[in-house]
Amino acid sequence: MKDLKHIHYYEQLLEQTANELILKEKEDGGVAVGYTCYYVPEVLLNCGNAFSVRLRAPNTGSLDISQYYMSSFICGYTRALFERAFEGGMNFVDFYASSDTCQQMVRVVENIRELELINNPRFGWGIIDAPLKISPHGNKLYTEQIRDHLLKPLAENYGVDVSDEAIRAAVREHNEISAIFEEISEMRKEDNPRITPREFHILCLVSYSCPNAQILPYLRETLEDLRTREADATNRWRARVVVVGSELDDYDFSEIMENARCYVAADRYCFGAFPGRQQIPLTDDEPALDQVCRYYLETNQCPRFMSQEKIMQRRETIRDLAREYNADGVVIEQAKFCDFWGYERTLNTQVMQEEYGLPTLGIDREYVVRGSGQLATRMQAFVESLEIKKIRKGGGEK
Amino acid sequence: MKKKKGIAANLADKTAIQKHREWRGGRDTAYDYLQWCRLWGILIKWAASHPVQNVKAVWRYRWMFSYLTVPSFFDRLCEGQRGAGLRGARNNLNYLASDVTKTLTTIFSADMHLHPGSKKAEELNKKIICVDELLPNLLGKGFPDCKMILFQEYPMYLPSLINQHSPVHYIEQSEIYGLPADVCPLPSFEAGLAIEDDFPKIGCCMLTSNMPCDGSIMTTMLQERRIGLPSQVLNVPLRWKEEEVQDYAIEEIKSAIAFLEEHTGQKFDWDALKEGCETWNRQNECKFEKWDMNRTDIPPHTGSSAWLYRIFEHQAVAGEPLALKNDLKVNKILHKQVAEGKCPKTIRHRAVLWNTPCNNYANFNNWLLNCWGIESVCEMIDIHGEDLIDTSSRESMLRGLADHYQTSTMRAHTKGGSEVMIDSLWEKYEEYNADMIIMFDQISCKGVGAINGLFEEGALKREIPMVRVRQDLMDPTSITRREMRNDVNVFMQSVMGEEPIDPSLVEFDDDQSW
Repeated sequence: MKDLKHIHYYEQLLEQTANELILKEKEDGGVAVGYTCYYVPEVLLNCGNAFSVRLRAPNTGSLDISQYYMSSFICGYTRALFERAFEGGMNFVDFYASSDTCQQMVRVVENIRELELINNPRFGWGIIDAPLKISPHGNKLYTEQIRDHLLKPLAENYGVDVSDEAIRAAVREHNEISAIFEEISEMRKEDNPRITPREFHILCLVSYSCPNAQILPYLRETLEDLRTREADATNRWRARVVVVGSELDDYDFSEIMENARCYVAADRYCFGAFPGRQQIPLTDDEPALDQVCRYYLETNQCPRFMSQEKIMQRRETIRDLAREYNADGVVIEQAKFCDFWGYERTLNTQVMQEEYGLPTLGIDREYVVRGSGQLATRMQAFVESLEIKKIRKGGGEK
Repeated sequence: MKKKKGIAANLADKTAIQKHREWRGGRDTAYDYLQWCRLWGILIKWAASHPVQNVKAVWRYRWMFSYLTVPSFFDRLCEGQRGAGLRGARNNLNYLASDVTKTLTTIFSADMHLHPGSKKAEELNKKIICVDELLPNLLGKGFPDCKMILFQEYPMYLPSLINQHSPVHYIEQSEIYGLPADVCPLPSFEAGLAIEDDFPKIGCCMLTSNMPCDGSIMTTMLQERRIGLPSQVLNVPLRWKEEEVQDYAIEEIKSAIAFLEEHTGQKFDWDALKEGCETWNRQNECKFEKWDMNRTDIPPHTGSSAWLYRIFEHQAVAGEPLALKNDLKVNKILHKQVAEGKCPKTIRHRAVLWNTPCNNYANFNNWLLNCWGIESVCEMIDIHGEDLIDTSSRESMLRGLADHYQTSTMRAHTKGGSEVMIDSLWEKYEEYNADMIIMFDQISCKGVGAINGLFEEGALKREIPMVRVRQDLMDPTSITRREMRNDVNVFMQSVMGEEPIDPSLVEFDDDQSW
């Protein structure tokens, strides 16, 4: 296939934590709000002149400093964020919106705060407590926490408009981006898809880590390009999978999948499209903040939700995605040292296989996966096993 | 060959079992011996009450073997103790033994693994409420006709303290199942028990929780699946210092009460709860007195028998009149020693011990004192639940209970923001007039590991001697007791430049010890 429009530019943007679009938006008076988790509703960080940046640490190398401050048994993502902040790579962040939902993640912002790592006179932070089950009083707590710890400081200290109208405008913009992704996602259902897993992963990442206003024009053009793009004549994909799991912002992971000729039909991981790149429905009869908070709580797929209905919802979401996107199997990936996904990966690798009949591979991985021969070998073996299953069923291509 | 002197000379090589009872002077040895006999009395009474059932339990459950070694465990926790400390320890431990044996009888009488198809056991189970072991069971006082049992306390937590090898098999089972080896051994042990089907099959419903950490949240999911009881999560807020989360905490308790009413068929008894809370308040006041006494130059009761009892009292026997009776008795003994101004121990350093202690080396405090004269005047695990419950109305009791949960064992410091754990350390250091810090570096505790550097820099800034002691909570295969001692030995010799009080304890082999 010919190169996707802007794909090289997107790759270039993803090389930096503070990319040129972020700096440009800041020059235009934007307030950069860093965040790391779906528990912090992205759309609310895009009210008024604020813009969200889902934090990454591309080109992470040594983690020696973070190892001293955070020990070596902490997940690579959080250590990489700390290391990047320590190096001065996060000085662009004006406000750090965090949640006390993953104890490792919240320690990043606490370390940053205590060690005064962000060299930015405007720097501030907010940390929310969030429930791990759905209930009316849980919705209330979640909404109040977001209002008091995130929106209020944004309004009071940065002059951000967080009114109902501003939230609705942010939702409209979010929905436009999501509509683009929904259309692109439909293309992944094709037998011989016109977009590769690596490309989709890159699109997702830029949409999360660049200001909406800056990235939207590019995404529109990319969508136009995709509408007329033709897939290669030969279908090179040997298997289709749903990838499920923890934070994954290294698109080399998808490249490894591609090299094993395994097509990622749906991405249900943090920084993936499910959830996060779906349109948020709003009605006029209820404050937008309440609706947005309820939406994020109900669609959240974090394994931290420990009530039975959410546990079942997570499994059924995987099953439904596998059905909808014609996946042959599921890959559940876990960032090393992530307690939540350590258990979820272990249990669901068996449950999805035994109770839902979906061939499932469970893997753990480092934050940076580039050059992981072990991962490549496991993917190849999984793809072969899926092929064998297809042949045994009599429906596989030779 | 010159005969070896010191405490270690009385310990068998590798197993560290005492060759004979420790000589503590006439009166203390006699007291210790009598209390030891009292313990045997408790155990024999328990064993003889349901002999067949108890033998079946020992054969059915691997963890039950650990309970057979309790006399040795108590001896270890009293090693080197004299005077009021010894008396306090023995009384606390014997009360604990007495209560645990009673609960074990209830558990085994209802256990459908031991009594398959038994109607009697089925009836008993209708009145048993299982709760996550880190949810204090004071709420159960509102169901006086039911027994609230800390589900993991008896198969997991206590055995991990009594016998350092008890977690190993279960942790291995979790890892064979696929759980990562880096998760905390506590939830991993619990998961192993569930995988092995080694939890007693009891209860009519289960109250789970997010206490105290991410690992515990996740192991609950695995356990619920295996246990199969109707369950509900009691979601305890994390930012417990904030007033805004309190309404949520109260609503969660109300919701839990409704769930328990539904599954037990019992109406919640607010008067019984009030009585329980008032008893608990008096128990808590006894603890406050103990903390006060430990701030003096003669800290009368410190170490494992103090913190273990505190945990047990807070979680399992809050509101129990017999526990209060024991508290009053112990405090009387302790007050007497403080009033007399006698200190039967050699204390060189007053240390604050921070982070969770090591279950597989519960008598580490005894070793610190006996070998290096380091007295554990304050321990993080001992300091929680510092407020009394206002029993003037239902709402105030709910508020108090919410606080009781939020400031429960372990999470009182590890949750609520890093400042809660860090600032509190410097405060306690001053408050207890300490001169050093023993920082447990529990390698698999991610929430605390992620603020390691802040502790280091804080201690450096304040010029406080701080020794970092590596441990893995309840997995002796990661870090042994010997390695823990070595961390202290190296620090005391090379940084502090000191000689041990008892050189026999500097280096000895107890890897095979229970």
